Amino acid sequence: MLRQIQSNGAGQFQTSPGTQAPPMAYHEFYRDDFRPREHYLPMWEHIQTTGQQILGAKAREAHLTLHTEGVTFTVYSNQDEGIERVWPFDILPRIITAAEWDLLEAGLKQRIRALNLFLKDLYHGQRILKDGVVPPELIYRGKDFRREIMDIDPPHDIYTHISGVDLIRDEAGRYLVLEDNLRTPSGVSYMIENRIVERRILPEFFTRYRVRRVEHYPALLLQALRFLSPRGAENATIVVLTPGIFNSAYFEHTFLAKEMGVELAEGRDMVCKNDKVYLKTTHGLRRVDVIYRRVDDDFLDPLVFRPESALGVAGVIDAWRAGNVALVNAPGSGIADDKAVYAYVPEIIRYYLGESPILQNVPTYQMTDPQDRAYVLDNMERMVVKAVAESGGYGMLMGPSSTTAQRAEFAKKIEENPRNYIAQPVVQLSRHICYLDGELESRHLDLRPFIIYGDGIEVVPGGLTRVAMTKGSLVVNSSQGGGSKDTWVLAD
Amino acid sequence: MLSRIGESLYWMTRNLERADDTARILDINVVYMLEADEGATEEMQWQPLLNIVGADELYPQRYPDKRVTVQRVIHLLTQERDNPGSLYNSLRLARENARVVRDRISNEMWEALNEFWLAVDKHLKTTLQPWRAAEFYSYVHREVATFFGLAQSTMMRGEAYGFTVLGSLQERADMTARILDVRYHLLLPDVSMVGSPLDYYQWGALLKSLSGFEAYRRTYQSGIRPIDVVEFTVLNPDFPRSLAYCMDGMEKALERIGWVSQGSVPEAMEALRGHLDGATPQGVLDQGLHEYLDQFLALLAALGTALQGDYFEAHLGDDLAG
Repeated sequence: MLRQIQSNGAGQFQTSPGTQAPPMAYHEFYRDDFRPREHYLPMWEHIQTTGQQILGAKAREAHLTLHTEGVTFTVYSNQDEGIERVWPFDILPRIITAAEWDLLEAGLKQRIRALNLFLKDLYHGQRILKDGVVPPELIYRGKDFRREIMDIDPPHDIYTHISGVDLIRDEAGRYLVLEDNLRTPSGVSYMIENRIVERRILPEFFTRYRVRRVEHYPALLLQALRFLSPRGAENATIVVLTPGIFNSAYFEHTFLAKEMGVELAEGRDMVCKNDKVYLKTTHGLRRVDVIYRRVDDDFLDPLVFRPESALGVAGVIDAWRAGNVALVNAPGSGIADDKAVYAYVPEIIRYYLGESPILQNVPTYQMTDPQDRAYVLDNMERMVVKAVAESGGYGMLMGPSSTTAQRAEFAKKIEENPRNYIAQPVVQLSRHICYLDGELESRHLDLRPFIIYGDGIEVVPGGLTRVAMTKGSLVVNSSQGGGSKDTWVLAD
Repeated sequence: MLSRIGESLYWMTRNLERADDTARILDINVVYMLEADEGATEEMQWQPLLNIVGADELYPQRYPDKRVTVQRVIHLLTQERDNPGSLYNSLRLARENARVVRDRISNEMWEALNEFWLAVDKHLKTTLQPWRAAEFYSYVHREVATFFGLAQSTMMRGEAYGFTVLGSLQERADMTARILDVRYHLLLPDVSMVGSPLDYYQWGALLKSLSGFEAYRRTYQSGIRPIDVVEFTVLNPDFPRSLAYCMDGMEKALERIGWVSQGSVPEAMEALRGHLDGATPQGVLDQGLHEYLDQFLALLAALGTALQGDYFEAHLGDDLAG
């Protein structure tokens, strides 16, 4: 299956299975001759002149600021309640040139436009399945394909109003898409908090660059949400729906509600009546027009999805079907970022837009394909194996650092349920310098820009750069001990 | 405003006020313990605190030998995790509620409370020693005052502000009534003793527990007299911890919040008002201060129930507005 859609990468990989040493990761900061790249020179010169010691004081100040402001995230453990941690932040910014950004922006817009057309098609005529571009069983066996929403028309035919696409750079420095997060991607508040802290801590760095702004993201988001209101943008009642204070992204939920000046509600704060949704207020019930829900499909409506869910609102899907409320992102969007569907995104772009994909995928092996599967099972120590419907670094096997027992466990799981897994060759994520315990050290990182689809598609110039703080590690998720950096997109 | 948010605003300040008031009664007792009191045992000095905060039933469960000591009372009221009303738990709940309403209060308020909580949580990881307690309690007073100061200077005077004021004043009225009831009863078990020489220090401690010692001295030039103490702490509308003052403030707060049509809060407020309005110090003493305060506390609890019904539990039968 893979070879039909993958023009490069995997096929060649198969003919020379890992006889040479893995190629060196691309370095964002250093050139091959260990001189800083051109766009990092002003920053580097500044550090040279003021001396590196000053960074220590700055790093402490940054941590203290985040601590006091309560910029935290929650790590789930085996206990009932998660542990609240201060957001880990590295003070040295990651810098993206204007030319690089132009390419990324065009590629992301193209991808999101195509994925929306794909979702509309999947939940209506299913042309793409009939034309044999995407195998129907891949969709029907996908956990996140929701039969319940077939033929519903969401406002303006938009499904993925907010996405956060994970990008990495391969050994040649080429940007690749690692994951399309189309459900309830988080991290945008940290993108903004990082900027606020960075500006306070290192104003002298900013004066040497023309850095594009990111703090208007909530304003853009509000505009997009108002655009969706069934009763018109004027006087629209908009809410952010949160699972509650024990959710790992609760900080972000409050942040967005506050920045937009809208209600932050839990499922129990709402009630449905006559296919309309209402907020329970101190002065009676108030009609709701748009719900930016940060609750997964499964928990959104106990009448349609999981009946035991207490996080959602009973009847909200009926209200949505009746066109009385907008749901953001639309239920059922998750099938388009399913990791097995991911491999087909380049084809999906060609199919709907008639364009070549601007951003490439990481080569992906389908475990439903017998040949791919046999190859992966033979080469597990060179693979990243991922459960297709998991995110946040959960349900994943990192081949090179895995034990024999872990590999055996995953091999068994793959054999039992091949549709549930995909595998990718290990890509050495690009590296960047970080200031750690008084030293400048290189660590791997990725990039998650945020895309808003309302009256047009907007990409905020920047994103969340996540850093694998452990030496050599390729796992950047904050739930797995990752850190972050402020991300600068240069104006010219 | 969301009912749940209103409820959290109310409990955020109510818990903060509770922490502050708990710190104050402990603080005063710790200071008075420094000098020897003829005939007063450790138990006599510390048992009243357990009665005031309603921990008198919890204590024997926690300490089966029932011996009342300074160290134990301080521990139970300040940092005992299993005491839902301990200063530690009050602050934890205040901060948890603040986290829920984080988008409704100013950043300054959130940061002040969050930093305060983090410091207290760290500080109380070890046992608070009696000789370090005063320092800790004064830190608590300062931080709570900072929070309320920030609320006053940064919050819009709307519904949210109304709920924060309501929470703190209701708790304050509750505490004043409890302190007065327990202390007065111990100091003056029999009404016939009115007029007999008073223990200046003990009465001073009562007034100080209400932050009213200096204000009282300035208002009443003739020394400390029980009847004046009652007038001052129950009926004086200008003393910020008196029952009358708290009632006035709660009425204003409820006007900001807005009355619910056919709600039960107006009736509950009227009952409280009626209990205070006709009262005179002599009449209260004749009736029996304990009975009077007991009734007041019952009416205050009824108001709590009414608030729950009117504001914190939206009814499905309501008109579907907008």
